Amino acid sequence: MAKMTNFFNPKSVAIIGASNKPGKIGNVVVKNMINCGYKGKIFPVNPKEAVIEGLGCYPSVDRTPIPPDLAVISVPAAGALAAAEACGKYGVKNLIVITAGFKETGKKGLELERKLVDICRQFKMRLLGPNCVGLLDTHVPINASFAAGFPKKGGIAFISQSGAMVLSILDWSHKAGLGFSKFISLGNKADLTETHFIEEAAEDPHTQVILCYIEDVENGSHFLEAVRAVSRKKPVIILKAGTSQSGALAASSHTGALAGSDLAYETAFRQCGVIRAGNMPDLFDLAVAFTSQPVPRGDRVAVITNSGGPGIIATDTIELKNLKMARFTKETIAALRSNLPAESNIYNPVDVLGDAKAERYRFALEKTLADPGVDNAVVLVCPAAVTEPVETARVIIEVRKKYPGKPLFAAYMGGPKLEEGAKILEEEKIPCFTFPEQAINSINGLVSYARTKNLSAKTELLTFDNIDQKTVKAVFYDVLKDKRLVLLGSEAAEVVAAYGIDAAPTLLASSPEEAVDISGKIGYPVVLKVASPKIMHKTDVGGVKTGLESPEKVRQGFLEIMDNVHRHLPRVIIYGVEVQKMMPQGTELIIGMTRDIQFGPLIAFGLGGIFVNLLKDVSFRLAKGLSYNEIEKMLTETKAYTLLRGYRGEKPADTKAIIEMIARVAKLVNDFPEITEMDINPVFSYHQGASALDVKITVS
Amino acid sequence: MKNLYIMGTAGSGKTSVATGLALKFSREGYRVAYFKPIGNITGAFLREDEDAVLMKQILHMEHPLETIVPYIAGPSYLSGYKNHCESLKNIRKAYETVAEGNDLVIIGGANFPHIMGCLGLDAPSLAQELDAVPLFMIKINNDYSLDHAIFINNYMQCKGIPVLGNIFHNVPRPLLAKTEGIYRPVLEERGYHTLGIIPSNAVLTSPKVKEYYEVLGGEILAGEDNMDRLVEDTVIGAMTIESALGYLRRNANKAVITGGDRSDVALAALETSTSALILTGGLYPDVKVIARAEEKKVPLILVHYDTYNTIEKLSKVTRRIRAKDEETIKMTVDNIEKHVDWRNVLKAIII
Repeated sequence: MAKMTNFFNPKSVAIIGASNKPGKIGNVVVKNMINCGYKGKIFPVNPKEAVIEGLGCYPSVDRTPIPPDLAVISVPAAGALAAAEACGKYGVKNLIVITAGFKETGKKGLELERKLVDICRQFKMRLLGPNCVGLLDTHVPINASFAAGFPKKGGIAFISQSGAMVLSILDWSHKAGLGFSKFISLGNKADLTETHFIEEAAEDPHTQVILCYIEDVENGSHFLEAVRAVSRKKPVIILKAGTSQSGALAASSHTGALAGSDLAYETAFRQCGVIRAGNMPDLFDLAVAFTSQPVPRGDRVAVITNSGGPGIIATDTIELKNLKMARFTKETIAALRSNLPAESNIYNPVDVLGDAKAERYRFALEKTLADPGVDNAVVLVCPAAVTEPVETARVIIEVRKKYPGKPLFAAYMGGPKLEEGAKILEEEKIPCFTFPEQAINSINGLVSYARTKNLSAKTELLTFDNIDQKTVKAVFYDVLKDKRLVLLGSEAAEVVAAYGIDAAPTLLASSPEEAVDISGKIGYPVVLKVASPKIMHKTDVGGVKTGLESPEKVRQGFLEIMDNVHRHLPRVIIYGVEVQKMMPQGTELIIGMTRDIQFGPLIAFGLGGIFVNLLKDVSFRLAKGLSYNEIEKMLTETKAYTLLRGYRGEKPADTKAIIEMIARVAKLVNDFPEITEMDINPVFSYHQGASALDVKITVS
Repeated sequence: MKNLYIMGTAGSGKTSVATGLALKFSREGYRVAYFKPIGNITGAFLREDEDAVLMKQILHMEHPLETIVPYIAGPSYLSGYKNHCESLKNIRKAYETVAEGNDLVIIGGANFPHIMGCLGLDAPSLAQELDAVPLFMIKINNDYSLDHAIFINNYMQCKGIPVLGNIFHNVPRPLLAKTEGIYRPVLEERGYHTLGIIPSNAVLTSPKVKEYYEVLGGEILAGEDNMDRLVEDTVIGAMTIESALGYLRRNANKAVITGGDRSDVALAALETSTSALILTGGLYPDVKVIARAEEKKVPLILVHYDTYNTIEKLSKVTRRIRAKDEETIKMTVDNIEKHVDWRNVLKAIII
């Protein structure tokens, strides 16, 4: 891990491109450094000035009294390289390049950025940016940025790929009353990336929760490994932009890098314990929740409300988010029954009725929080005639003190009548929303973090003894020699068989006679499939014949396939026809893999056959660090699992064999990075065992 | 002395075989000349018949190009030439100039054997006129390709032109066995000799990026230094981004054709084995795409046609052989030595 203490806690900072002209970035940075109360030395650098904002100015960085721990460069792009080089020669180790005009502007900018990175490597400097706002830390304090204003002290570290987002959130934070530990604007991420700063924030005692806004992840495997460790210490909440088709297009135009698929991000985040925020309000709701609430013990939620409708809405949302409505103990129910009015609902959601005053809320809330079956609670308040919003707020605050281990949220559903009460709650760090959904969303974030923390950090590696890498290498060698990237079915079957996967015997025939020969050897009935690396969907072009039981049928099938395919695809070269042993019908499943640009092999499992694209009953995992437990979870996440357990009197399928097959596929794609795409569709699953029928492999 | 008339369809390997044979024969000590009665001009930038330019250089011919290629027949040639007799006279005169002092002349056919048939200047008629032995090149697409060859052979036989035989050119590896085991016997049965079966070789037959550029025109936005890369396949990038990567990964050394506004497809293509990225519709791509292409050193060509017209034009792109392309020229001779019964070809013309 990069030691980045000196980025946040330098003893001296040089500002290259410092200026006296108000409004210039070089002037704002100097003022920010002075105004934030920075205790180290500030060296403005500008050959044309003697004094800047009351500080002695230096003509160049190497004329400063000592090599500064950190240098901020804000001169135009043309001069930035020379400035960086001067820093390197003088012994500066940490650079922030605010200057824009690099990769984001095109070819020439890219060239400049490469040179900048080369200079940094040469002098072993670490670089934040270029094209960034800079960074700040409220606890040090330091403000090496051109952001307007300085946030309140707090426990949130905000790392952003968008500079504008930093500026907006910083300004907004004053209105929202939110405190931050750090702001980091990543810029072009030419050297230091989100992962470096996530790791740094994890070590920072003032940071309670790490928030990120990103458009892509720079180094997928570094990210996975680092964040997996960090998320067990501190919550990492990420808003990843570009999830929609058009959003991804916009993001790729913005960053110039192909973002991996959103699916891969989703899977990667889940596997390394990141809490994913769906939108901006979510991101900050979660931040507030994590800085004000404890981590819950479980997912059971109690709802206390003074009206029926909102209680039901809250209940719906709880179920929708995969949380659980708490079930009270007999004692709690008895106590509620004997003390609340008869028409109250004493089961969860607890309805204390529209005439409830503060003391009735106190009773209900105390009883439910005391219940061991309750992990989280939400109090809903509607402005009825006798409602006491302010007193109720005070009651909630008092009760919370008795049960500090259980997250507590409120929704004050109304306007001016409830405003004061809501304000009191927020001041006492009980998040108060206008509607219950946001409260439950926050609980959901807390609960999923609790699950992550409880996960064991170690992952058992998948190891097997009967693996034959030589055969796989030999097949790949032949394929590349033939100038192909797509394996024929017979070759793919050989590859998976070498990795101990049960594949239906498949051999290539180049003439009807050869097909008959092979059929005789592997035994009737057989299936014939056209063999051509250019054909993705064989059935669609009449390239498959099943259940052929005699040499005559095989001969005829061969000719028909050739004819059909020529008619559909006149220019495609056909290698012949694959002859495969016809396997008995099983439950059709799919096991697939696509190698994500950022995160590597992404394994898919689901219901197979021709409806796979329609039903989309598929679950995903990254192959890196995949364990048997995870594979098992993968199965249970799909509807296919219900089928496998024995739906409507069918015999249950051999799930162990399926798990084993997925594990072996994971091993294969981890061992051979040249496999870029792989599909086994269908896999036939049986009461005993499973068989790979159609295997597709693409290599690079 | 007789002449050898190499005929065939566009992209059937006429130039490659003419080059190989011409060099092989001159190495054997013969004085070889090249003549192309009906030339054509390919590409958006060229003004000359490229075969003539190539052969003039490698055979060190001193005649002007207008003599080596007396006629250029564009697709609307009829508006210009009308007189059969005069045309034929000119062709014969040019041929005699070229042939003088040489032991044998290799005559290159037009893009198709039927071209200029209106004026009786189609390849079979000219072969007869110039006393040349016809050799029809076969590029196998399917079984009909063989029908076509037999049809042409038969036609010449009927006209009383003795057919020398055929050469299969650019045969994909999976079709080699069929060519040898089925196609050759079918030809032999009808009395036509197979004089060679030349297997596919991407280095020789795949067009280079610059050949795409010459046909399509447009602007090169990045990767100018890599215009010599081979293009072995073309892929149209009109899919959703989710399926793009899987699709693009299936082909190596390809040209990807997509709209200038599809930066997602363009970036996905740059993550896979791509020789050139062709952006259509005259839509300038995002600077990030240009930068990325530059980073990956992939030629990025912006064309002003829409995607449909661009694809239409692609059929005109074929691999050209250039005189300075020494490796390729050496390969054409290797092909003749390894895969062609050149002695029998020679025997047929030196009588």
